[in-house]
Amino acid sequence: MNNGTKIVTIPETATIEDIKDEIRDVKTFYMSLDNKELDKNFKIKSGQFIMCTIFGAGEFAVSLPPSPENDRFHLTVRKVGSVTDALHELKAGDKVGIRGPFGNGFPFEEIKGKNIIYVAGGIGLIPLRSSIVHVLQHKKEFGRVLVLHGARTPDDLMYKENLKEWQSFPGFETYITVDVGTPGWTGEVGFVHTLFDKANLPVENTVAFVCGPPVMFNTVIGELLKRGLRDDCIISTLERHMKCGVGKCQHCAIGRTLVCTDGPVYTYRQIKTLGEQI
Amino acid sequence: MYLIKKNDILQIAKALSTEYQVYGPVIEPGSGQTFFEKVEDVSEINLSAPIPAAPPKHIVFPQADRILSYRYAGGNAPVEMKPDFKETPKALFGLRSCDLTGLQCLDRFFLGQEFVDEVYRSLRKKMFIVTNTCVVPFKYCFCVCTDSGPAAEEGYDLNLTDIGDNFLIEAGSAKGKALCEKLQLAKAADKDLAEKNRLVDKSITLFESFSTESKAWVSRVMNRITTGFAKEEVWEYVGDQCFECGACSFVCPSCSCFNVVDTATGDCSCDRLRTWDSCSYEGYSRMAGGHNPRKPVEDRRNKRFFCKLSYSQSKKYLRPGCVGCGRCDWVCPGDIGMPNVVKYIRRETTSRDQL
Ligand SMILES: Cc1cc2nc3c(=O)[nH]c(=O)nc-3n(C[C@H](O)[C@H](O)[C@H](O)COP(=O)(O)OP(=O)(O)OC[C@H]3O[C@@H](n4cnc5c(N)ncnc54)[C@H](O)[C@@H]3O)c2cc1C
Ligand code: SF4
Ligand code: SF4
Ligand code: FES
Repeated sequence: MNNGTKIVTIPETATIEDIKDEIRDVKTFYMSLDNKELDKNFKIKSGQFIMCTIFGAGEFAVSLPPSPENDRFHLTVRKVGSVTDALHELKAGDKVGIRGPFGNGFPFEEIKGKNIIYVAGGIGLIPLRSSIVHVLQHKKEFGRVLVLHGARTPDDLMYKENLKEWQSFPGFETYITVDVGTPGWTGEVGFVHTLFDKANLPVENTVAFVCGPPVMFNTVIGELLKRGLRDDCIISTLERHMKCGVGKCQHCAIGRTLVCTDGPVYTYRQIKTLGEQI
Repeated sequence: MYLIKKNDILQIAKALSTEYQVYGPVIEPGSGQTFFEKVEDVSEINLSAPIPAAPPKHIVFPQADRILSYRYAGGNAPVEMKPDFKETPKALFGLRSCDLTGLQCLDRFFLGQEFVDEVYRSLRKKMFIVTNTCVVPFKYCFCVCTDSGPAAEEGYDLNLTDIGDNFLIEAGSAKGKALCEKLQLAKAADKDLAEKNRLVDKSITLFESFSTESKAWVSRVMNRITTGFAKEEVWEYVGDQCFECGACSFVCPSCSCFNVVDTATGDCSCDRLRTWDSCSYEGYSRMAGGHNPRKPVEDRRNKRFFCKLSYSQSKKYLRPGCVGCGRCDWVCPGDIGMPNVVKYIRRETTSRDQL
C-alpha cells in the first residue's frame, strides 16, 4: 500500500528543475512539488502513474519512472498531441500541476527471490525504469535480473546513461537490440524477442515484465509462453485514455476493469480475461 | 405518518424553501413537457405532472460543471487555483421512485468506492428529498421489473402518496419527521397506510395496460450478459441501429461518464470543466496516436448494456444500473432503448439454452 500523500481532486503545483532530451520527441522533466511538506510525503510505487496538468492545455496520464527509493522525481514524456506538446514547450522554472499517485503498481516484495526479466520495446522502458532501478537497489534479494531493450534505431534507445550503468552493474544482464542499425552500430540487430536465446532466458521461478507497443507485446508474450512461462508470471501495464485517474470518468474501462484503479498493472492471465481488445 | 390536505401540499415545499433551494417537477408552458427544475416560487411545482423528460441527475452532476479555475502567469509565478465546489442546500420535491433509485446509484458510485468524488459530494451534501409515489405508471415505465418503484422504500426524508383527499406523508429520516412536527401536521391512521398500500398494489397491476411501451425482464438477462451468453448477433444488430447520438446516456438517471477539459477564460486563465460524455461516442476511448481499442460501434453499445446489467458492474451500484424509467427507450432514434435490447437478448435463443 501507498502510505504517502495522495492528491486526488485539485492538482498541486510542481516546478520543473531540469529538462533532459532523451530521444526524438521524448524529454525527461525533473521536478519537485512546491509544497515542501507534501513533497517529502509524496511516496510512489513502481508502476503507478500521476495525472499531470499543463496549465492552459489540460491534463494527461503519465507513468512514474523514478524508483520509490532515493531517486530524483521525474517524468519522461513523448510529444504526441496538444497537452504533451505544451509540456515540451516548457522550460526549467515553469510550473505544472500534479495529482496522484494512482494505480496499483508493480509487485516488489512478492517477487523477491525470483529471477526477473524486463522486456521493453521503445518508450515501454519508461514505466519499467522505476521497477528496474528499485530491483537494482536491492539486487541481493533477487535471482538473475535481465533487462532486454529493443528500439527502432540506435538513436531511439531510451535512458542511454541508465542502460550503460545497468550493462556494467554486477549481477545485471543487459541486452540491447535495434530494428535497423546505423553506420557505426556494432550491437545486435533484430526485434527484441530475438535476444531470448542469447540471453538464455530463465523459466523456473521467473517473473517477466513486458512493456511496449501492441505488436511487440503480442510477439513477446507468445514467445515467453512458448518457453514455458506461466501467464500469471508475465506482467504488463496497460494504457488507456484517462480523464480522472480515480475510477469515475469511465474512460479507461476495459471490459469489467478500470485501468486507473484496478490497473494499470495486470498479469497476462488477467489481461486475457478482460474480454476486450487491449 | 402524517396527513395533509391535497390543496395544502405545497406548504411543505414552501417551508423547505426558507432553508433550501427547491427543485421540483414543472411543466414547461411551450412544449408541455415536464422538467425537474429549480423553482423561484413553489407554486410552479406540479405534483401530478408526468415523469420528467430528463432525470434530476443534473442537480448533482451538472451537464457542464466548472470544478476549478486557475490563473498562471508562466515562469516561476505561483499558480492561483480556485476549486469551485458548490454546497448550496437543495430540496428535491416530488421525486419519482425511479429517479431516487438513480440518485442512489450515483451515490454509491461517486461516494462509495475507493475514491470519494469531492465534486459530487459537495453538490449532494445538505439535500432534503421528498419522493412522490406513482399511483399510476406512465407509458414507458418498467420500474416494477427493476425493483425501483412505483413507491420509494428508503432513501427519502419524506414520501408523499396521493390517497384521495389527502396526501399520506411518511417520514424516512429524523430531518423529515422534524419538519412534519414543526408544521404540526395531522397524524395518519393505520387505514391511511392501508389505503396507500392498496393504491401501490393497484398501480403495479396497471403496468400491464398503461406501460405498453416498455417491459424488460431485466433479472432474466443479467445472467446471460454476465456470462457472455448473449448472442454476438444481438450486439451487432444493436450496433447497426445506434446513431451514436449519446441521448440514451444523457437522459439516464444512472449514467455518469464524464469528460474533463481546460478551457481558456483569458490570456493566462482557464476553467476546468467536467462535462457529460457517452460511451457511444467514437472518440470516447481513442488514445493518443489514434489507437482506438473500442472502434466498432457494437463494442461501444455493448458496453452500455454490460455496464447496466452485468453482475460485475452492478457491484458498484449494489443493484442493476437500470432503474426502469424508460427514458432511453423514449429518446432513442434507433429504437434500441433498454427494454428493446432486453427483449432481443431474451428472444435470441442462446446456445446454452439449447443444451
Ligand atoms: C497509465 C498511463 C501511463 C502513461 N505514461 C506515459 C509516459 O510515461 N510517457 C508518455 O509520454 N506517455 C504516457 N502515457 C500516454 C499519455 O497519457 C498520452 O500520450 C497523452 O495523454 C497524450 O495527450 P495529448 O493531449 O498530448 O494528446 P492528444 O491531443 O489527446 O492526442 C494525441 C494524438 O491522438 C490522436 N487524436 C487526438 N484527437 C484526435 C481526433 N479528434 N481525431 C483523430 N485522432 C486524434 C492524434 O493522433 C493525436 O496526435 C501514459 C498513459 C497512461 C494511461
Ligand atoms: S439514444 Fe440510441 S442511437 Fe443514440 S447513442 Fe443511445 S443507443 Fe445510440
Ligand atoms: S437504461 Fe434507460 S430505462 Fe434504464 S434507467 Fe437508464 S434511461 Fe432509464
Ligand atoms: S481514468 Fe477516469 S475512470 Fe479511469
